[in-house]
Amino acid sequence: MPDDTRDFARQAREFLDAQARPAAEPAQFRWGQGDDSVAYFSADPPEVAERKVRAARDWQRTRYENGFGWISGPPDYGGRGLSPLHDLLYDAIESEYEVPDTGTLSVVGLGMIGPTILAHGQPTVKDRYLSAMYRGDVIACQLFSEPDAGSDLASLQTRAVPAGGAAGGEWVLDGQKVWTSVAQHSQIGMALCRTDPEAPKHKGITAFLVDMSAPGVEVRPLRQMTGGCEFNEVFLTGVRVRDDHRLGEVNGGWRVALTTLMNERATVGSEGGGQVAEALSPERLSGLMGVTQTLDDRAARRDLSALLVDMMAARHFNARAARRMQAGVAPGPEMSVAKLMYAQNLTRAAHFVSYLLGPRIIADTGEWGTYAWSELLLATPALRILGGTEEIMKNILAERVLGLPKEPGIDTRSPFRELPRSGGAA
Amino acid sequence: MSDSQEELEDLREAVRDFLASKSPESAVRAAMDAERRYDPAVWDQMARQLRLPGLALPGDYGGDGFGLTELEVVLEEMGAALLCSPFFATAVLAAQALLASSDKAACARYLPPIAAGQSVATLAVAESGAVGDPWDPALVTTRASRAKAGEGWVLSGQKSFVIDGAVADLVLVIARSAAGPALFAVDRAAPGLRATPMTTLDATRTMAVLTFEQAPAVLIGAEGQGGELMSRVLDVACVALAAEQAGGARRCLQMSTAYARTRFQFGRPIGSFQAVKHKCADILVRVELAEASAREAARLADEGTPEFPVAAAAAHVCCSQAYMFAATENIQVHGGIGFTWEHPAHLYFRRAKSSELLFGSPAACHERFLGRLGI
Repeated sequence: MPDDTRDFARQAREFLDAQARPAAEPAQFRWGQGDDSVAYFSADPPEVAERKVRAARDWQRTRYENGFGWISGPPDYGGRGLSPLHDLLYDAIESEYEVPDTGTLSVVGLGMIGPTILAHGQPTVKDRYLSAMYRGDVIACQLFSEPDAGSDLASLQTRAVPAGGAAGGEWVLDGQKVWTSVAQHSQIGMALCRTDPEAPKHKGITAFLVDMSAPGVEVRPLRQMTGGCEFNEVFLTGVRVRDDHRLGEVNGGWRVALTTLMNERATVGSEGGGQVAEALSPERLSGLMGVTQTLDDRAARRDLSALLVDMMAARHFNARAARRMQAGVAPGPEMSVAKLMYAQNLTRAAHFVSYLLGPRIIADTGEWGTYAWSELLLATPALRILGGTEEIMKNILAERVLGLPKEPGIDTRSPFRELPRSGGAA
Repeated sequence: MSDSQEELEDLREAVRDFLASKSPESAVRAAMDAERRYDPAVWDQMARQLRLPGLALPGDYGGDGFGLTELEVVLEEMGAALLCSPFFATAVLAAQALLASSDKAACARYLPPIAAGQSVATLAVAESGAVGDPWDPALVTTRASRAKAGEGWVLSGQKSFVIDGAVADLVLVIARSAAGPALFAVDRAAPGLRATPMTTLDATRTMAVLTFEQAPAVLIGAEGQGGELMSRVLDVACVALAAEQAGGARRCLQMSTAYARTRFQFGRPIGSFQAVKHKCADILVRVELAEASAREAARLADEGTPEFPVAAAAAHVCCSQAYMFAATENIQVHGGIGFTWEHPAHLYFRRAKSSELLFGSPAACHERFLGRLGI
C-alpha cells in the first residue's frame, strides 16, 4: 500500500472510531430469534422511513464534514480530490462499522446524478447542488421512465418548451414519469424531456434538473404487488425550469442520460450484503431445511446445492469484477451478467424456500421465519424488470459483448412524431 | 492490471499459440483415430518448450513451482482446443495423488520424470461395479496384500474408466488393505497387469480397463490413508476439470456467435433475431460464471484458504452445467450442419458429457459440494 493510501486509511479509521461503533460479529443464527423479515423492498411505514432518511442525511453530513463525503470529487465543488481507489478503500473500512444505511441518498443521487451534473451541468447548478448533495442536504431522483417509455426510454413524451421564446431563459415541462424511487424524499429530480418531436427520437431529448418543490410537481406513491410503496409516479404540469438548470446541450439529452445509465450499471448486481443475502446464506438455508425436516430429502438437497453453486459463482464473478475495478479497469457491459444472475438466483431461492415451507408460506401460522418469506417471493418478479429488463440485458450482452447485429427493423431515423405508439391510431 | 495478471495473460497466449499450431481440429481428429490417441511429439514439445507438465510441481521435484492459478489457465486452453494428451491424467491426477500422499521418497522417485515429460502416469480409482460416486475410495474393492516374498505388495482386482490407462507408464492405484484404502504404484510392465482400451463416448479422452492379478505394487504414503488422500486429490482435480470445461464452453460460445453473425436466413444474419441472440447471451452468462468459478477456486487454493474445497466442488458443478449447456445450444445455433460428423460441435458435446460425469453423477457432485459445506 503506498504511503498516502496508508495515511488515508488511518484517518478513516480515526474518524470512524470516533463517530461509530464497530460492527457486531454476525450473530450466530438461531431459529426463532431476532428479526425474521426477508424483505427486498422496504416495508417500512412512512414515519419509520422518514426517520431512516433523517439518519442517512445526518450520517452523510458527518462524513462530509470530516472529508469522507465525496472522496473522489473535485475540490472546486467540495470534493476531496482523491482517486476512486480511495472511495473503495473507505467503503471497505466503513463496512467494518455500524453506520446508518445511506442508500436513499447514494444509489441514485450520489451514485448516478451527481456524476452526471459534474459532467454536464452549468456552473450555477454545479455550485448550487453538488456540495449540497454530498453534504446530505439535497436528495436527487431520476425522472426517466414513463408509462409509454419503458425499455425504449428514448421514446419518452414529457415535453419541455421554451417559455416566452428562446430568449425567455425558462422552460415549461409537462408530462408523467413513473417508477421513480425516492421521489418522496427528493429535493431535485433529473428529468429527460422531448424538446424536438420533429427530430429522430434520440436527437430531440434534453435533460433538466427540476426542483421537486416547484409548483406543478406532484409525487404520488405507486403501490406495487408486494403491497408496499417503493416507487412513485411523478406528474409534471406546467413546471417552470430555468435554462441554467439544463444539463448538456438542447437536444443533446440522450448523451447526458447515457452518463447516468453507465453509472447505474456499475451499481446494479453488486448488492451484496443485507438482510436478504444473510437469509440466503448456506447456514440459514440448511437451517431452514432442518426445521422443515427436509435435510434428507434428495430433491431438496439437489435444489439447494444447485442454488448455492450458482450464488457462489455470481459472488465470484462480482469479486473478480471488483478486483479489476480496483486495478483501474472500468466495468463494461459484461456487468449485465451480474444483474441477470442476481435476479435469477433470488427468484430461484424464493421458490426453493417456498417448497420447503409448503402451506406455511400461503397462510400465516404465526410461526417465526416462515410466512415472512412471502415478502421476498412477491418481490422477485420485479428483479427481472427493474434497472433494465432481462430481455434488454440479453440484447446488451449479445450486441455489445458478443458483437451480434442489432434488430434491423428498429427505426432510429424518422422524426419522433411519426413513430407508432402503444394504443395509437394505425 | 497487475504484473501477475499480465504474466498470466502471457502464459495464456503462449499456450494458445502452441495449441493453435499443434492441436488444430485436424490434429485432434488424427489423434482420435491413432492407436495411442495422442501425438508423442507434441507431448514432448509441451514438456521441452513450454515445461507444462512440471508447471505446478514443486521445484524440489523438478517442477517450476507455480500454483493452481497458472495450471488453471493452461487447462482452459487445453479444454478449448480439445487437446488429446495424457496431461490431465499425468500432471493433475497422478502428480496430485503423489503430492497428497506426503511420501517424499515416492515424490522424489516419480515426480521428476513426470515434470520432465518423460513419464506418462495415471490414477486408477473407479471400478465397473461402483454406483453413485465411482471416485469414492470407500467403494474400492481392489485388494492389496503383502507379497509372499520381499517387502512389497501385490494387487488383485479390476479398475475401469482409467484415463490414459492403456498408455501410462506408471499406474497409481487406490486399493484396499486390511487398514482400508491406500495408494499404490504399479509399473506398466509389471507382470499381472493387463490393460484393455474402452470404447469412449468422447474419443479425445481415452479410458481403459486395468486388470490386476497379483500385480507387484509399491505402497505410497501410509496404509489406510486413501480416503483423506482422495478428497485432497479431488479438490484439485475438480478445479482442473472445471478449467478444461470452462475453456471448452468458451470455445462453443465463440463458434455460436461467429456462426450467428455470418449465417443469413430471411435476408439477415440469424444473430439479429432475438431468439438466437438471447440464446447466445444465455451461453455467455453461463460461460462467464464458469470461468469466474474455476479461476476463483484456483486462486483460493493458492491462497491456502479453507474455502477452497467448497469452491472447488462448486466450480466443477458450475462448469459441468455451463459446458453441457454451451455444447448443446451450440449445435442448435448451427442447425443441421452442427449435427454432422464433419463439424466439430459434436466433439465438444461428447467432451462436455464425459467431463460432466467423469467424477460421478450430478447427484454425487452435488453431495460432494454439500459435504464440503458441512450440510
